[in-house]
Amino acid sequence: MLTKISGGDIIDPVNGRLGKGDLWIRDDKIVAAPAGGAADRTIDAAGCIVMAGAIDIHSHIGGGNVNTARLLLPEQHAAHQARPATTPLSNAGWSTFQTGCLYAKMGFTTVVEPAMSPGAALHTHLELADIPIIDKATLAILGNDDFLLSMIRDDAPSKMIEDYVAWTVASTRALGVKVINAGAAAAFKENVRTFSLDEVVPSYGVSSRKIVKTLQAAVDSLGVPHPLHVHCNNLGSPGSADTAAATIAAAEGLPLHLAHLQFYGYGTEGKRRFSSAAARLAELVNATPEVTIDIGQVMFGQTVTVSSDVMRQFSARGSAHPKKSVIHDGDGNGGGIVPYSYGKDFYGTMQWAIGLELFLLIDDPWRVFFTTDHPNGAPFTVYPALFELLMSREARAETIAELPKSAMALSTLASIDREYTFEEIAIMTRAAPAKLLGLTDRGHLGVGVTADIAVYRRDENIAKMLGQAAYVFKDGDLVVQDGEITHYRWGKALRLNPSPDKAMVRRLDDYHQQRYGLSLDWFNFPDSAIAREQPFGEVACRM
Amino acid sequence: MAVAWIGNRETLVERAAAHAAALLGSSRCPVFSLDTDIHGTRAAIALAERVGAAYDHAADGAALSRETALFTDKGAMTVAPGETRRRADVVVIVGELPQIHHEFVGELAETVPDLSAKNQREIFLVGSKGASAPPLNNGRTATLLSCGEASLGATLAAMRAQCRGRRTSQPVSNFDDFAKALEAAHFPVFLFSGGATEGLALEMLQGLIADLNRKSRASGLHLPANENGWGSALASTWMTGFPLRTGFARGFPEFDPWRYDVARMIAAGEADLHLRISSSIVQPQKKKNRMALIVLAKTQEPIAGAAVTIAIGEAGVDHEAVVYSSRTGSLRSVDVRAASELPSAATVIRLVASHVSAEAALSC
Ligand SMILES: [Zn+2]
Repeated sequence: MLTKISGGDIIDPVNGRLGKGDLWIRDDKIVAAPAGGAADRTIDAAGCIVMAGAIDIHSHIGGGNVNTARLLLPEQHAAHQARPATTPLSNAGWSTFQTGCLYAKMGFTTVVEPAMSPGAALHTHLELADIPIIDKATLAILGNDDFLLSMIRDDAPSKMIEDYVAWTVASTRALGVKVINAGAAAAFKENVRTFSLDEVVPSYGVSSRKIVKTLQAAVDSLGVPHPLHVHCNNLGSPGSADTAAATIAAAEGLPLHLAHLQFYGYGTEGKRRFSSAAARLAELVNATPEVTIDIGQVMFGQTVTVSSDVMRQFSARGSAHPKKSVIHDGDGNGGGIVPYSYGKDFYGTMQWAIGLELFLLIDDPWRVFFTTDHPNGAPFTVYPALFELLMSREARAETIAELPKSAMALSTLASIDREYTFEEIAIMTRAAPAKLLGLTDRGHLGVGVTADIAVYRRDENIAKMLGQAAYVFKDGDLVVQDGEITHYRWGKALRLNPSPDKAMVRRLDDYHQQRYGLSLDWFNFPDSAIAREQPFGEVACRM
Repeated sequence: MAVAWIGNRETLVERAAAHAAALLGSSRCPVFSLDTDIHGTRAAIALAERVGAAYDHAADGAALSRETALFTDKGAMTVAPGETRRRADVVVIVGELPQIHHEFVGELAETVPDLSAKNQREIFLVGSKGASAPPLNNGRTATLLSCGEASLGATLAAMRAQCRGRRTSQPVSNFDDFAKALEAAHFPVFLFSGGATEGLALEMLQGLIADLNRKSRASGLHLPANENGWGSALASTWMTGFPLRTGFARGFPEFDPWRYDVARMIAAGEADLHLRISSSIVQPQKKKNRMALIVLAKTQEPIAGAAVTIAIGEAGVDHEAVVYSSRTGSLRSVDVRAASELPSAATVIRLVASHVSAEAALSC
C-alpha cells in the first residue's frame, strides 16, 4: 500500500528536510516520491507538522517492580468508564494496554523500559508484549550481582567479564546494560545505609567506581550501541551534584549515559541546605562530549517512585504518601516502591526548576534526553505539558508565578530565555534517542527507514498539539487519528543478540547449580514463551 | 478420543466453544474461577472483559486475597528465594506453609548461606503449641516460638513486643534463643504465606521486620498459597491494574476483594454462570443451584452437571507454559513433559471468545 502524507511541514533535521512537503510510505517503510505515483491513500497534513515517531529512552513501563507498584496502589488507578468498542483493556488505569495506547496518542512509537532485573526477564517481556501498538526495549541491570562482583574482586580477565555481560544481554533479550547505584544494593544487604562512588562493597572490597568502570568498558568493547546507562549513587540527597560531577568525570573519554540527572542536581546552599546545582552540572555536561544524560523532570502531583535503587528507596520510606511501601531485596538489585506526592512547596519547586534548568542550560539537544523517569518524576502523561514548558518562556513564567519565591531565588530558571524549537524537539525526542540506542531504522524520515511517523496539527496550545497527534503511523499502519486509537497492533521488543560464549554458559550453569540449587534452565526461556507472533526485533551490535 | 461435550453429549470443540460463548453472552452475572498458567489467565481476563465477568482463583482465592491485601493495604519488605538460600543465617517459618514449599524449606535446612559471614543457618517456627514445621533434613528440628494456644497474630505481636524489650502477659517460648540468634544474625528471613495465616498476622510480621530493620537487616520471603494463583494475580495486575477478585460488571475493571470473591458469589446465588478453568484433572462437583457450569479441565469424560465440558491439556505437561515459580520468585517457562493433542486453556478460551458477539451484554 502506498500512502502520501501531503503538504505538511516536515521536521527532519537528520536529513536536512525542514518545510512544506510530502512524505511517502510504501507498506512499512518511508520511500522516495514515486515517479508519477498515485497514492492508495492520501493524508492531508496541511497545517500540520510531520516528525518521526518519538522514542522514550527511559520509562518504567513494565516488569516486576512496576507491577508491584500497581499492586501496592489500587486506589490510584481506578478506571471510570466502559471500554471503547475496539481496544481491549485500554481504559484499565495503568495497565499495559493503556500504556501503549497513551504513548501512541502522543506520537511515541518506541519506549525503553530501563530497569529489567535479569531474573525477571521473562516476566518483563510478557508485560511488554501486552503493551500494544508501540515497540519496546529493555536494559538489563548488572552491578549488584554476586557473579559480577566476585569476578571483579578476583581480577577476572576483561574477556570473561565481557562474556558474562554478553550472556546476560542475550539471554534476557536486552538492548543495553544499566547499572543502578553500583554496589549499593549488595552493600545494603550487609546493612550499609549510604554509599558513594569510592566506597567499597563489604565482602568484595570492590568500589562503586570500579563496578561502573568495568561495566562501561565491557559494554564498549562488546559493541553494545547504547553506552552504559548509569543511575549514580546518592540519588535525591542534598549535595548529590558532587556525585554526579564525579561520575561525569569518570567517563574518561568513553561513552557514558547518566539517567535522570535532575535527581542529582542538588547543592547544599541556602538556609535549608538544598539548592540548585543545575548550572554547574549543565556546564560539566556541555564540556564532556562523551556523556549523555536524561532529565527525569519532576512535575507537580501524586505519583509513585519505582526504583531498583533499593538502598535509596529504603531510606525514602518515611516520605511515602500514602503511607505504604515495598522494599525488596532481590537477587541482584531488588527494588523499592514508594508513593510520593510532589507539592508546590520549597522542595518540589526546587526539583521542578532544576529539571527545567538542565533542559535549558545543556546546549546540545543530541545529548540531553526528554524523560520524567516515568513514573518517578511524574507519569509520562505529563509530556505534553512538559513540551510546552520547554517551548514557551511564557508558560514557564506562568507556573513560576505560583511557586514559592524562596525556592525560585535559589535557581536560575526565571532568568533563562531559551525556548526549544520544533527542530530541537525532533532531535531530542527522535533523532538523538535512535542514535543513542543504535536504532538505525528509525528516528528520522529518510528513505528506507521504518514508517514510524507522528503528524501534529498546529495549535497555539503546544500541550494540546503534542498531546493528541492528528495522525500516527507505526510500521506504516495508521494507528491514531485525531488523538484516538484507530488500529490495534502488536509491536516488538528490540534486542541485541550477541552469541554467548560456551565456556561462560557452562560456568554459569555450575554457578546456578551450586549456589541456587537450580540449573540454568530455570532462568532461560524460548521466544515462544511470549506467545506472540514476532515478539522480538533484532538490533545489531557495533562492529 | 472425545474432547468436548455439551451436557453428556460428545461434540466438536468448535461447537462446544460456540455453545459456551452463547451461554456467556446471555449470562447476567458470569464468574470465572481460574487455576491455570499465565497465558490461560491472560486469555481468561480478556474474555472476562468481553462478557462482564468477575474472576478469582479456584481453590485458594481467600488465602491469595490475604496476600494481595498485605500489598494493597500496607506494603511489605520482601526478599528473593535465591537470596534467602544464599544469605539467611536465621530462617523463621511463620505458621504452617503450604505443602508445595516444604521441599524448599528442607533445602534451606540442609544448606548454609554462602554469602553470609556466618556459615550456618538456625531455624525457628512460629506457631501455636504443637504446631509442626515441614520435615527438615539432616534430622534438624525448628525451635518453636509460641504463646501456648494464642493465634499466630498474637504470638507475632508478643515476639514484636519482647524484641522491643517489653513484657508480655504470656512470654513467647524459647524467646531467649530467638533473641540470641537475632543478635548474631546478619540477615534473618521470615517465611510467610497467606495459607494458614490471618491477615493481621501478616501485618504484625511486617511490623516486626520493620522494627528489626531500624538497626540491622531482615526481610520476609513470600511463599504464595498457590503458585498458579499468584501467577494469575501478577498477570491480572499488569492487564487490569488489579489483582484477582476483579470484575467487569460495569465494563471496566473494578477490584473488590469482598464483592468479587467468586466462591461467595456462587454461594450467595449471585452468579448465574460459572466458568471453571483448571490446569489439572477436575473432580465432578455437586450441583447446588441453577447456575450454569462450563468446565475446561483435563478430563476424558463430561463433568457431571456441566452444560459444557472441554478437555484441555495440563500446563507444562501436555504443552509448554509460563508459570509462577516460588523457587525463583518470578515467572518461569516450563517445557512439555508429555506432549499431547490436548489444547491449552488459552487456546480454548480464545476459541470461546471468538464466538462471543462483539455486543455481548455487560451486565451483573
Ligand atoms: Zn529510572
